[in-house]
Amino acid sequence: MKIPENFLYYLSRHEDCNELLLARAWNLGAEELEVSLHPEVARIKKMVYAVMGEAHRMKAFMRLQPLGTRVLYGFFKPRHKIGEHICDHFARRNAWIIVVLGNGSESWISLCREGRIWRDHGRGLNESLERLKSALHCSEDGCEDVSNMEGLWQVYYDSQYCPERKNPEAFRRHMPRRDQDSAGLRLLQNKKNATLEDFLSD
Amino acid sequence: MPMVTLEKIAHLAEECKFDSLGPARCPTVVDVDAEKLSILGEGTRHDVCASTFSPRETPLPGICHAFTKDGRCVSLFKTLYTNHCTHQCSYCTNAANCSRKARAFSYTPKELARITLSLYRSNYIEGLFLSSGAGRDETMVMEKMVETARLLRQKFAFSGYIHLKVLPGASQAHIQEAVELADRVSINLEAASASRMFEICTTKNYESDILQRQRYIRDMLSETSDTGKTVLPAGQTTQLVVGAAGESDEEIFRRVLYEYKEIGVKRAYYSAFSPQRGTSFENRKAQPLWREHRLYQMDWLYRIYHFQPGEIRHAFNENGFLANADPKMAIAREFVDEPLDPNTAAFRELLRVPGIGPRSAERIVTYRKRQPIAAKAELAAMGVRIKSASPFLKINGWRDTTLEMWQA
Repeated sequence: MKIPENFLYYLSRHEDCNELLLARAWNLGAEELEVSLHPEVARIKKMVYAVMGEAHRMKAFMRLQPLGTRVLYGFFKPRHKIGEHICDHFARRNAWIIVVLGNGSESWISLCREGRIWRDHGRGLNESLERLKSALHCSEDGCEDVSNMEGLWQVYYDSQYCPERKNPEAFRRHMPRRDQDSAGLRLLQNKKNATLEDFLSD
Repeated sequence: MPMVTLEKIAHLAEECKFDSLGPARCPTVVDVDAEKLSILGEGTRHDVCASTFSPRETPLPGICHAFTKDGRCVSLFKTLYTNHCTHQCSYCTNAANCSRKARAFSYTPKELARITLSLYRSNYIEGLFLSSGAGRDETMVMEKMVETARLLRQKFAFSGYIHLKVLPGASQAHIQEAVELADRVSINLEAASASRMFEICTTKNYESDILQRQRYIRDMLSETSDTGKTVLPAGQTTQLVVGAAGESDEEIFRRVLYEYKEIGVKRAYYSAFSPQRGTSFENRKAQPLWREHRLYQMDWLYRIYHFQPGEIRHAFNENGFLANADPKMAIAREFVDEPLDPNTAAFRELLRVPGIGPRSAERIVTYRKRQPIAAKAELAAMGVRIKSASPFLKINGWRDTTLEMWQA
């Protein structure tokens, strides 16, 4: 990954970023960040990469479930402040569908309509979904997810594995547990044994 | 961009004019036979292309959505349209003469489009990779594959990635349509030459079934390149089965050179042969995975590092095979006569040092404009693999002499 020109945006989204650090990074260029060996610049670069890396993996590992026909939602608890960024990404991909990402304490809501994004930042995921259900006049039956995408996916996923190429080390390297948890992946895979509360708690 | 209440967002979403999209807007119940999904999925396990990067007007980033236990990424819904096939490829479990064939299955375009769209909406995949057995009639199967892509793009307004395989018997009209709908199309060469093809498959004609169709695609692309329209942004690619017919790495390299220069493929993929039960080749030896890995390294040296074919040839032994070692090291021993000073060496020279890639070479060139490089630790911080590089480098006249470059 190359340092992008708008790296300040990523830096500002880092969980440990503060005004002072941002001010110090203000005069740096992407090229300088790329090659400088100065300890503070190297630290800034590391922070930028950490946010970009998490954003990239969340775009990959998030799984969205339908709520009726107008809403897609998913459990999401990122380490860095990228909730809105990721929610917008999925909204752009799914124009006219409301995308809700969140966890027990906060949620992000985005809708992309005719190239324009509309947003809200709410409390817990559960609360936002309940409010949406009533705003969209969604009956309980109409909201039930009967698509079984996870089951379908699991069958397909298993079919792609070549035993002669087994490489658990590469698997672990590419799918860090921490990121699987941020995207709620393991919750989803254990869905049969989990209750709704598991999904929505912190 | 406006922040509004959730109720307002709900109201805005309800104004959707595209009711014709109906249930396709969110993942819907896809009633699909699990055995079919699994068997047609398995049919593409050995197709190694998983790339989803597409330099469209708004580039589509490459995203890997999951990794299998073998460490390979799953970013596409890779599947066969049908596993029924009349070809007799000796390595393939779908071949007409395979004794352990799975039950024959086939999708319908609508079914496949819906599964793809639903998996895409739920963010399991970035797009579709569609290959197929030849079915009873290759032209008809190709028509169905194209129809699947057409449904996705036109009816479901699908903006994800599509990679279509072109079947050996595909008509020019179908190829044209595939090129217009997909991000990438490919025809698998499988073998390194016509005679090698004959050894592994007697029912495919290398020249007319494969090379000729690759040329169709090349010509279609060159015709449209004048119009300024982006067609087939991720281009044409190909894949070879490595080692099924006993071919050498140098034979493969010669073929791939032709593909890059004459056909203009974006890249070649290599899939190490592994014997499958019930096929005519079931008793042949599996090729080691490192062979595949070394071929990719060779490929990168040509494609990314822009090494000359004459340089790369030095990596092959007298029988035309690559050793299980970095080919770049073998080439460097041949061509780097004396240690280079990273403060003065040209970009091209830096690239030829093992342990220095395009990114670190670029960083070195940028860095030294500001200040001279004084220590190896600085190079390490720029991403240089010091262990491989140091026998070939000297900094300010000093050189690491503890390691003879020949022993590195």
